[in-house]
Amino acid sequence: MCGLAGVARARPQGVSAQLLERMAAAIRHRGPDGFGLHADDRIGLAHVRLSVIDVAGGAQPMANEDGDVRVVYNGEIYNYLELRHELQLRGHVFRTRSDTEVLVHGYEQWGEGLLERLNGQFAFALHDRRTASLFLARDRFGILPLFYAERGGDLYFASEIKALFASGAVEQALDPEGLDEVFTFWAARPPRTPFRGIRALEPGTWARWRDGALSVRRYYTLDLATAEAEPADAVERLDELLRSGVRLRMRADVPVGGYLSGGLDSSIACALAAQGSPYHLRTFSVTFDDPPLDESAFQQAVATQLGSRHAVQRIGGGAIARVFPDVVRHAETPLLRTAPAPLYLLSRLTREQGIKVVLTGEGSDEVFLGYDLFKETLVRLFCLRQPDSRWRPRLFDRLYGYLPPQARKGDFWRRFFLNAGSPDDPLFSHLPRFRLTTRIRDFYADRFRAGLGAFDALGELRQSLPPGFMGWSPLGRAAYLEIVTLLSPYLLAAQGDRMAMAHGVEARVPFLDHRLVEFALRLPDRSRLRGLREKAILRRWAEGTLPPAITRRPKQPYRAPDVPAFFAGTEPEYVAELLDAASLQRTGIFNPEAVTGLVRRCRAGLATGVGENQALVAILSTELWHREFLGAPARERAPASSGELGAGASIAA
Amino acid sequence: MDQQTTGPAQSEIVDRARAYVRENFLYMRPDWTLGDEDPLLGSGVIDSIGVIELVEFLQGAFRLAIAEEEITEQNLGTLAAIGRFVHQKCHANGSGGSVRPRQVA
Repeated sequence: MCGLAGVARARPQGVSAQLLERMAAAIRHRGPDGFGLHADDRIGLAHVRLSVIDVAGGAQPMANEDGDVRVVYNGEIYNYLELRHELQLRGHVFRTRSDTEVLVHGYEQWGEGLLERLNGQFAFALHDRRTASLFLARDRFGILPLFYAERGGDLYFASEIKALFASGAVEQALDPEGLDEVFTFWAARPPRTPFRGIRALEPGTWARWRDGALSVRRYYTLDLATAEAEPADAVERLDELLRSGVRLRMRADVPVGGYLSGGLDSSIACALAAQGSPYHLRTFSVTFDDPPLDESAFQQAVATQLGSRHAVQRIGGGAIARVFPDVVRHAETPLLRTAPAPLYLLSRLTREQGIKVVLTGEGSDEVFLGYDLFKETLVRLFCLRQPDSRWRPRLFDRLYGYLPPQARKGDFWRRFFLNAGSPDDPLFSHLPRFRLTTRIRDFYADRFRAGLGAFDALGELRQSLPPGFMGWSPLGRAAYLEIVTLLSPYLLAAQGDRMAMAHGVEARVPFLDHRLVEFALRLPDRSRLRGLREKAILRRWAEGTLPPAITRRPKQPYRAPDVPAFFAGTEPEYVAELLDAASLQRTGIFNPEAVTGLVRRCRAGLATGVGENQALVAILSTELWHREFLGAPARERAPASSGELGAGASIAA
Repeated sequence: MDQQTTGPAQSEIVDRARAYVRENFLYMRPDWTLGDEDPLLGSGVIDSIGVIELVEFLQGAFRLAIAEEEITEQNLGTLAAIGRFVHQKCHANGSGGSVRPRQVA
């Protein structure tokens, strides 16, 4: 994986090497192994490289034989060998062994139709000199990022927003609506970002820029319609897809390791990797000193069974607070949880241990219905069918076993779910979560709230739902919402790509092989969630492959300490600085009086509920985010010379 | 220290509960006027964790024990309901309010 950046000019006024170098330097962490750029009178392309496939020959930007088509690309095309063979049969001549060259010739051959043929995770920018156009594309689920901003007819684009700012041409300002979406969904919903005028290319879409005009098209849509019955060969088909998905993701010229959470999904990925790896498999885990959060016994059980060389990143007191400012800088968005921070530390450990590619278990909970939210949806529907039943609501007490007992007690706890919304509301499944999250709005400064006007994040989400949405089952609708509001914009981004790439580690996601996703989403709901047993078919498959302690273990959500991370021990200096009333007043997003009340409760150890934990992390990360990105122009701070780009730099102008 | 022999008056319970709710659950909304009959739940004032905090406050402040089955909207859904419920409990078992309740931070 790598990083890309560039500029497309509306008029032929050229793109300076210095501009491209500045943009590339801002994302150098994504590609420490090499650097390249290409510039002509209309287009500038820059690339920082993490060498994984064809280490010697895969330098970018990469062009076809006559230079008509040139690409900068971040990602992996896992079926590149098959596509290369097909293109060779059609007369294309390849000069390297890299997957990048498949994009060049594939685009020549199929145009945008290339995208449907790709199995992988990717974001790329391709200059087509024949049509004087620039083509941008992003993978189906948004595993890899791509942002852009239009300024005066020119288009600036990059893997991370900090590269856009480093150009000096893109305004650094907040977008209140983007922030309000963060405080509703945990992340802004693409194409929106928390920054004014900066867009995220939506997952599953491409964009073409020509003569100063940009058009965006969708090439992939999610279909959550399920089959009536489970196919007789469902487990065999699942076996083929899991093995094929992992086998393809083991393709690399460097060793591939695995993240091991201790849960079912990452254990499956690592087990299949161990079977297919030519190397002694390396696995990596986060452990917590706080026992309720710690899964080390399960991680160790799997590592022992797989015989992997296992390394752990221990998260003790103060660890999260120490790196949190860096985490926010890489995430480029306010956060509602500290959960990305341990993964930031884990990627650092992984890289230090010499591994730069890992498999992860992301995506499985969404497509195999693993989250408690899906069970909660079923229980709410079950209760609402007999609203007077006294025993039905007691099922809620069984759902959140990992919460302290005092947190799930009594009539009110149950009413929270039952009164959250009507089953006729398209957002029914997510209304309890959205309702809890939007309590952060109570802390808004009056002026910030006024600036939002009539903006309605939930209303916009309802408007965006695809035709046929209400025809899907309640769980299908819930899975769709989970994928578009949380998986793509938060789990794969702020908690996924950005934390891994902070230290130049590429995370590969076998459960998001689109063939596996389409197979799983088509299965009847009961094949995946049987009663209150999640991921049923996946467990059936895993019996015999993994220790019973793993296959029979209920899902434990990955969590990290939130308020205690900052207040349980020595409070970091930046907390008092940023949450000081005068500082909050200057930033203007939150009401200083309200935040002072919250901080008082945090310091007294009283802020134990989800709402106050989310609010504290949201407010603190927003202030860090504001200081990092809106405090001073990035151009003044970004390294400006090509010397900053270090070894391996090459310029092809 | 004041000594009381008959337990706190209902109005005192309501006032102390209001002060506690304002300080701990409405600190972010200082302009919110909290009337005796305003719902505490469903309106977003108190969530399920908050209910437990409120119960702990009432138990400590008025020296009484509240069972899980008593944690209902009828008993705790408004300040007035809290006043009635706590007053009744204090007088029913005779234990509540015999000593000036301790302050809860």
